[in-house]
Amino acid sequence: MSEPVPLTTDGPGQVASATPPARGRSPRLGDRGLAVAFISPALLLLLAMSVFPLLWALYLSFTDYSATRGGPANFVGFGNYTAILTSAQVHTRALTTLIYVVGAVSLQTVLGFTIAYLISRRTHGRGLLTTLFMVPMMLSPVVVGLFWRFMLDAQFGVVNSMLGSIGLEQVEWLTRQRTALVSLIVVDTWQWTPFIMLIALAGLTAVPRYLYEAASIDRASEWFRFRTITLPLVWPLLLIAVLFRAIEAFRLFDLVYILTNGGPGVSTETLSFHVYKVAFLGFNTGTASAYGILMVLVVVVLTQLYLRYLNKLKEG
Amino acid sequence: MRHPKLTGRLSVPGRKARLATAAMLLVATTMAACGDGQDDGDAKAGAPKAPATIPELTKDPLTLSFIWFDWPPAHALEDFANAEYKKERPNATIKVNTVPNANWHDAMFTQFAAHKTDFDIAILDSQHIGEAVTNGNILDLTDFVKNNIDVNAYNPYLLAAYGQFPQAETGKRDENASLYGLPLLGDTWTMIYRKDLIGDKPPQTWDEMISVAGKCQADNPGVSGLAFHQANGSDAAAVTYNTVNGIYGGNLWDPKTRKIDGVLNDAAGQEAMDVLVNKMKPLTAKGSGNWFIDEVNAAVAQGKACIAFNWIAASGGLLDPKQSTLGTTREQILDKLGFATLPSQKTNLVPLGGMGMHVSAYSPAANQAEALNFMKWFERPDIQKKWAAAGGVPARTDALESPEFLNAGPFNKVYADSVPRMRDMWNVPEYARLVDIENTNVNAALNGAKKPKDALDDIAREQQSVLDSSGRKGGGGL
Amino acid sequence: MAVSVDEAVSAAPARDHTPPARRFGGRGRPALEVVLLTVLAVVMLFPVLWMIETSIKDNRDVYAIPAKFFDFNVTLDHFKDVFVAPDGGRSALSVSFLNSVVVAGVSTVLATVLGVPAAWAYSRFTLKAKKDQLFFILSTRFMPPVVVVIPIFLMYRQVGLIDSKLGLILIYAAFNVPFTIWMMKGFVDEVPAEYEDAAMLDGYTRLQAFWKFTLPLLVPGIAATAVFALIFSWNEFVFAIFLTSSDEVRTAPPAIAGLIGGTTVDWGLVAAASVVFALPVLVFAYLVRKHLVAGVTLGAVRR
Repeated sequence: MSEPVPLTTDGPGQVASATPPARGRSPRLGDRGLAVAFISPALLLLLAMSVFPLLWALYLSFTDYSATRGGPANFVGFGNYTAILTSAQVHTRALTTLIYVVGAVSLQTVLGFTIAYLISRRTHGRGLLTTLFMVPMMLSPVVVGLFWRFMLDAQFGVVNSMLGSIGLEQVEWLTRQRTALVSLIVVDTWQWTPFIMLIALAGLTAVPRYLYEAASIDRASEWFRFRTITLPLVWPLLLIAVLFRAIEAFRLFDLVYILTNGGPGVSTETLSFHVYKVAFLGFNTGTASAYGILMVLVVVVLTQLYLRYLNKLKEG
Repeated sequence: MRHPKLTGRLSVPGRKARLATAAMLLVATTMAACGDGQDDGDAKAGAPKAPATIPELTKDPLTLSFIWFDWPPAHALEDFANAEYKKERPNATIKVNTVPNANWHDAMFTQFAAHKTDFDIAILDSQHIGEAVTNGNILDLTDFVKNNIDVNAYNPYLLAAYGQFPQAETGKRDENASLYGLPLLGDTWTMIYRKDLIGDKPPQTWDEMISVAGKCQADNPGVSGLAFHQANGSDAAAVTYNTVNGIYGGNLWDPKTRKIDGVLNDAAGQEAMDVLVNKMKPLTAKGSGNWFIDEVNAAVAQGKACIAFNWIAASGGLLDPKQSTLGTTREQILDKLGFATLPSQKTNLVPLGGMGMHVSAYSPAANQAEALNFMKWFERPDIQKKWAAAGGVPARTDALESPEFLNAGPFNKVYADSVPRMRDMWNVPEYARLVDIENTNVNAALNGAKKPKDALDDIAREQQSVLDSSGRKGGGGL
Repeated sequence: MAVSVDEAVSAAPARDHTPPARRFGGRGRPALEVVLLTVLAVVMLFPVLWMIETSIKDNRDVYAIPAKFFDFNVTLDHFKDVFVAPDGGRSALSVSFLNSVVVAGVSTVLATVLGVPAAWAYSRFTLKAKKDQLFFILSTRFMPPVVVVIPIFLMYRQVGLIDSKLGLILIYAAFNVPFTIWMMKGFVDEVPAEYEDAAMLDGYTRLQAFWKFTLPLLVPGIAATAVFALIFSWNEFVFAIFLTSSDEVRTAPPAIAGLIGGTTVDWGLVAAASVVFALPVLVFAYLVRKHLVAGVTLGAVRR
């Protein structure tokens, strides 16, 4: 999040100048008024529903307020923050989240790019292929989580059934420490590989053909063409996709909630899931707010990176 | 030209109105937020009192709403109450709102926190009482019970379990303690065993049960010896451990000194954990580490378990031929399935389940009056028997001993026999966090993510620190 | 311009892949690629097919070990159960579907009504720190829902919006407005401002020029944007589970999630409910396939 820009509520101040006005009855004033009238409702909604709640959370994060126990909110300084940053429990969740984000995003990047590359080399049926590959991404995380839970069931799940029919051991997909996290990564990868694929495909099809033709005349090797032409041109777009996915993966809650409920033990509890427990099991609203603000800070850093690359891409 | 003027005139006030509305919303919420802190200062005083006698009831149409989690008794209650209560109060309609089990505590307490509930009667788990009472979310029914309920008609522990706070520590009711609820549905674990596989006579001790299960598993490939709750959600794994802990003579805590560390993880506690993880878990199906009520039922219905443990109130579906592979009629299924009280070992304790009815402090006065009237009606002897016949588990002793109840289901005798043996968890305000600590750690031990001893020590240490920091409010911990 | 699936298809034939393939050891390579692509497609689509298959299986076959792929009884009972309660009335699930239609629909309309004019204004006018404003707007969309829900919960309880459709509509609209603005700004940018200038020379005000000349050209873009907003609201789970509790308000995602965790699990019903729930999204997604890239990146990437 960039720093909140003072906006709109104070009226004309923010509209520096309108576009060169056409002749007519004071169109200048009209333009300015129009801009304010058109933009301020949207910004007000965002102020009320995003900025204000976050500021409130920021205030609460310095207090010992509890949403259920009532009583005055006492100022506790940075107490909540130090408690969170020094907590071994939080460190565990941070590590889990990191493994999850890095694992899922790299897996889906490799897979997504591969699929996109393969599709881009086909001459027929590209539209159909792309559409089919898109399906997982459009499903609700609830549906995805429930259904994979069904398929990964150790006893009657179809995955173990197939493993069994080719003579392999049953795997406890959701109830062993390692496999549960792997399952989470696999399911997220299944759902979001299409995302990377779609954007990579957009990049790949946008590579100007004459570059390949020129390389073809030079009898350059295919790997050489890929490395020197395709990748550099697709890379910026891919980076955007990767950052976008990283932010989304970092926020992940619903899939954990449904697929493993954080288990076995707490080994698949992500930071988001832990915040939920602090906020709604213990109703330690102050601590939960501080936890949330810290998460927001991470998101802000990731978003800044994302926006910077986006900006570069737009200008480039 | 009319248009420009018109639009011009319209757009300006429109915008201002929007600005003003938004600004008012912001100011209002901010002030409310700041004011909130001071207003609530008195809430500590505890729960508001319900009137000793039922106020005059409304003659207008009224919907009396409950909140429960989604399971067959919830639907049974709604049908039963609409059929029977309407005879007394034709203008009242009963609505039982249901939420997913995993969301049950959150759904009730977020509404309590909002000081606005869409239910009049909360069906709290017995352990939720402390949190609700401390926060002033439910009415104090002490005077109401004195005037309207025949307390001698109940096993005293049942009244205590579903209503009393502070908790009944001895298993007896403390006559001087306040009551905040009345029993709705009694429940405990039943042992479900395959008569065709292990014989008609259920094992009597826990050790015997384990060896019978082991033998049954060895003799019947594809059928696992045991099935029980292991999940890390709700109170699944925690109740399992607590049950074994009780049977092997352990204690969850010392309520007088509020000590958990050193009590829970004493020698008896260690033994219980060892039995659970090293003797019982190896007899369960592979991948059963996230099983709760429904998965255990499925395993029994699919004929995949020799001995299973489940809540009685959740066992009705086992007799439904449509969901079972054990037979095509109820009788055929009952030829194979037996229901028994839990085996005993060092003690004969069994877990207390079930829930009571509690009146929301935030529901309108007319609804609160109706709620009290409903509860008085519900605890009448004839209604308790009808509730038993409708599939419910009553609490009055006469109803429990009635043929209506004992004949309604093969597990009802199990319940009646279990009543004197019950033990509950702590019902302190910190319950939600305590049970989460226990759930996740027992689940970790069961699934090999932690060593049994480490898990038990972690439970004791973490629970102790939650109890010790209970004086602090909302900033105190993770 | 957004690269659409259709364009990708039509642009393809001009490219010639044969020479490099030939150089790299004959016909094996393209064949290998086709095989690889097929395998990947099967893996990606199998869960969806399995879901559809489970939804039409008898429960007995659902739990069969080993799993039955072809040899099973087809039944539509699960679909009936999605809509009809056991007592013959309307099922709670079908009520939640209706709630989802209302919440997703109204929040999308709200986000569109607020977002489209703002997008137009951002596209047409020179505003102070415009880029910062736009980036700020987008970044609000990235907040973790679990974090936002805490203060939103406190705020809603003050104004009585807990467990109300309006509460969900407002928060969904707030999450969709940034997306609508970014997505629509791209579409507005593609409509030359000269159209409006010309109209204003003819004596129209700027508002009229927008209303009469630009807006009609934006309709396809608005439709695409609205569809994406609709999909987001339709699929959303976190706010729904924490801000609602009653059957009258609950939307479909928490209702479907609530199908497990009772005393029995009916996976056939879960699958049927999922199919019914996912179908409209897939149809809508197919309708806006041209704008998928922009849509899934919140309008940030348009090439």
